[in-house]
Amino acid sequence: MTPSKLVFKSLTRRKGRFVFTLLGIMVGMASFVTFMALGGSLKSQIERESAALGANLVVTPKGSCAYEQVSILTGEQLPTNITKDEVAAIRSIEGMQAIPYLAERSAIDNRPVSVMGILPEETKTFKSWTLAQGDYFLEEYSDGAVVGSVLAEQFGLTPGSDVRIRGTEIKVLGVLQETGGKDDLTVFLSLPVAQQLYDQKDLVSYVAVRVDRLDEVELYANKIKDKVALGVVSDKQMRSSVLSIVGTVNMTLQMIAAVAILAAAFGIVNTMMTATYERKREIGILQAMGATRNGVFRLFLFESGIYGLFGGLGGAVLGGLAAVFATPLISQNAATSFVKGSQNSLDPVMFVGAILFSTLVAMIAGLYPAIKASKLSPVEAISYE
Amino acid sequence: MNNPVITARKLIKEYGKGAALVRALRGVDLDIQRGSFTCIVGPSGHGKSTLMHLLGGLDHPTSGTVTIDGQEISRLDNKKLADLRARKIGFVFQFFNLLQSLTARENIETALMLAGVSEKDQKKRSQELLDIVGLGDKADAKPCQLSGGQQQRVAIARALANGPLVLLMDEPTGNLDSEAEADVMKVLMDLNRQGKTIIFVTHSNEIASKADNILYVRDGYIQLPPELRKAS
Ligand SMILES: Nc1ncnc2c1ncn2[C@@H]1O[C@H](COP(=O)(O)OP(=O)(O)OP(=O)(O)O)[C@@H](O)[C@H]1O
Ligand SMILES: [Mg+2]
Repeated sequence: MTPSKLVFKSLTRRKGRFVFTLLGIMVGMASFVTFMALGGSLKSQIERESAALGANLVVTPKGSCAYEQVSILTGEQLPTNITKDEVAAIRSIEGMQAIPYLAERSAIDNRPVSVMGILPEETKTFKSWTLAQGDYFLEEYSDGAVVGSVLAEQFGLTPGSDVRIRGTEIKVLGVLQETGGKDDLTVFLSLPVAQQLYDQKDLVSYVAVRVDRLDEVELYANKIKDKVALGVVSDKQMRSSVLSIVGTVNMTLQMIAAVAILAAAFGIVNTMMTATYERKREIGILQAMGATRNGVFRLFLFESGIYGLFGGLGGAVLGGLAAVFATPLISQNAATSFVKGSQNSLDPVMFVGAILFSTLVAMIAGLYPAIKASKLSPVEAISYE
Repeated sequence: MNNPVITARKLIKEYGKGAALVRALRGVDLDIQRGSFTCIVGPSGHGKSTLMHLLGGLDHPTSGTVTIDGQEISRLDNKKLADLRARKIGFVFQFFNLLQSLTARENIETALMLAGVSEKDQKKRSQELLDIVGLGDKADAKPCQLSGGQQQRVAIARALANGPLVLLMDEPTGNLDSEAEADVMKVLMDLNRQGKTIIFVTHSNEIASKADNILYVRDGYIQLPPELRKAS
């Protein structure tokens, strides 16, 4: 016999109670881990997108706020009201590169995809794209489409096949190398073709700007504001406002998980209190056999810690699985379509952290019952029938 | 030879205070000789169990002293008392002595664990102990699969686990039929014959008649038994 064997024998004595208490903490931890994993992958995805944008400044339609800024990173449809003249004015500023985009959406086989109108050559260099298959646009107004690698795979598109955008069959010219961002899920058209297709003659959604000298980002933001009456945000501002939205969502989800864990913790308190009453006499017997009060305390604390350890382990596995399976489902949702295949959401540090956290919570929950059990005087416990 | 294994001097135990004061023991003096079989008898509620608890270091006296094997124990702290109980005392109570979630063997192993015996030695020793009480074949039975008499014999084996100086038994046969009682008594008489000191609380005259020494507890004192009192 060892103390841990003794604890396991006591734990599994009331199997139903053991299982249900364990399930409680498992469900709580699973929701916590799922939300953490999703939140974590949202965050890292946003940072990737922001890097993929390759811009220090983004010129957005007048009066756009954080929500529209999210859209730039997620590939949502934007109010499109930046004119050709405004684009020309921005592009005339020396010492920076400015690339206009028309961001639209369409559906292939009823699944939402991003459609972007771009300046083929400039965008290609701006984003350092390379082709995986086929050809790129030959000219600035070329017909045809270049598609992202994930999208090509999902819909079985290869150079030469047709893709239907807004009721028009468009020939696929080529497929881009994987970028790891939302470009992989986007259909690219040349800007004039996209503008015509979406009836947005001479209009674009936003302009991405890269300044030549990083220390002059602020200066150029002002230069742009002087020329056009549009919103200008730095990539940093954009990232932080998007992250704050994500943070709020995460926080809310984690609060829900915290409540679930709290409820599970009270389940442990309840189970352990019941155990101390039920085993009152056995505590006395153990003391008569030579167990110290401290020993009794540790046995009970160990027992509740086991709920946390196993609950945390089960919860982390379940939560991790849920995150892996939930992510593709979330990708179906337009607002979060950019969260795809977040392979690194199962962070081992988080996995271990979740288990330790749940063990700690369970031991705190078990503290009061364990103190109660150890406070019993041997004679009192023995005399209990 | 006058080398008692347990002595008690002016032992007083009171519970509660004020109007609720219960004077369970009012001044007990006794000596238990090594190898003796002592029976404690007396009417219900007069302090027999209280006396056993104090002799075994399960509780602190209000005043007075208990000496076990030359060591004064009444002022020891809880931790030292627990250690004393693990190594020098074997308790058996009237009922529910065994941990219900453990088998007979595991119950004995737990006592050995509390005295710091290694897991490997626990196995060997617990089997020997079960053989001593005639339950070698019941090692893996849970308490609920054993009869009352068998449970008490496992409890005796467990009390013997760490080679205690004395077995303190508070009505261990109080719940048993006469056949089971005879089984338990046979085990105990054998142990006593081999030199084990036993203190045994009982209401049975038949058992008391086998004792080397009878202590009659009444009103918190040790008195002469009624039949002797009449004679004197
Ligand atoms: N924990 C306690 N608190 C208060 N009073 C107690 C406590 N334990 C025992 N007593 C009282 O002390 C007295 C002696 O009790 P004790 O249990 O020693 O009697 P006993 O001789 O063993 O009786 P029985 O033969 O019924 O087992 C009784 O009056 C009892 O009510
Ligand atoms: Mg009693």
